[in-house]
Amino acid sequence: MDHIYWLLAANVAVWCGLGIYLLFLGQRQRSLAARLVQLESLRHED
Amino acid sequence: MNASRAPFSALPQGLALFGALAFAACQGLIYLYAPVEAQLGLMQKVFYVHLPLAWWALISFFVVFLASVAVLLRASDAADRLCRAAAEVGVVLTTLTLATGMIWARRSWGVWWTWDPRLTTALIMWFVYAGYLLLRGLDLPPRRKSVICAVVGIVAFLDVPLVFLSARLWRSIHPAVFAAKGGGMEPEMKLTAIACVVSFAFFWAGLIWLRKRQLDMETRVRALLLARQGADEDEA
Repeated sequence: MDHIYWLLAANVAVWCGLGIYLLFLGQRQRSLAARLVQLESLRHED
Repeated sequence: MNASRAPFSALPQGLALFGALAFAACQGLIYLYAPVEAQLGLMQKVFYVHLPLAWWALISFFVVFLASVAVLLRASDAADRLCRAAAEVGVVLTTLTLATGMIWARRSWGVWWTWDPRLTTALIMWFVYAGYLLLRGLDLPPRRKSVICAVVGIVAFLDVPLVFLSARLWRSIHPAVFAAKGGGMEPEMKLTAIACVVSFAFFWAGLIWLRKRQLDMETRVRALLLARQGADEDEA
């Protein structure tokens, strides 16, 4: 039974780690999209 | 396809999603198909996750090495961005490799960490590439920074073959699974391990592609903003 907890801990670590990196990528993507919208609005003002 | 629209292709997301789903499906192989190892019991199943993380981390750093050579030979900005994307993914995967390895070690060897050659060289590799990413964050002239990072990317790679060979070259308690003839693994175990490594390849490729594309877009946005600033100053 003890093995299952350690196995679970290892799997949680991996999936959480990958999830955090994907969240980081998503946040960077949102920030890029916001900057693109800003650029587009500047172009429309011209 | 229009070149300006190419960066918005959904292919990298699709690749990463397919890889993640395939890797998740491999859990079925790990728990239902691969036999339970006689000595380590269920804990041995950490190996099927630990192995692809470790191998693709090493391959990420090999990509950094190749792209760094391209930066020095061709002064390629695209290769420079590939270096950064691959190093980032490599550091994430190495972190997870070390984390799963430590959990394995605590349960199997009774300690969280030991200064074994494989573990030590892997930790050095993590520090070297984490330092490389810090270097990339410094505010230096772009061309100078890409050349410095390319040199560091090439020199840093010296540790990577050592990590791979350490368990074979020196006395190590870390198992070198595929080193011995037959690998000491049941065919079902070997097949499961290969399926995990192959499925993770798609996820890895998707991640690197996505990050590289983001860096390409960041560069374009920055160039557009600079051009805009220049035009405003000219008008003033």
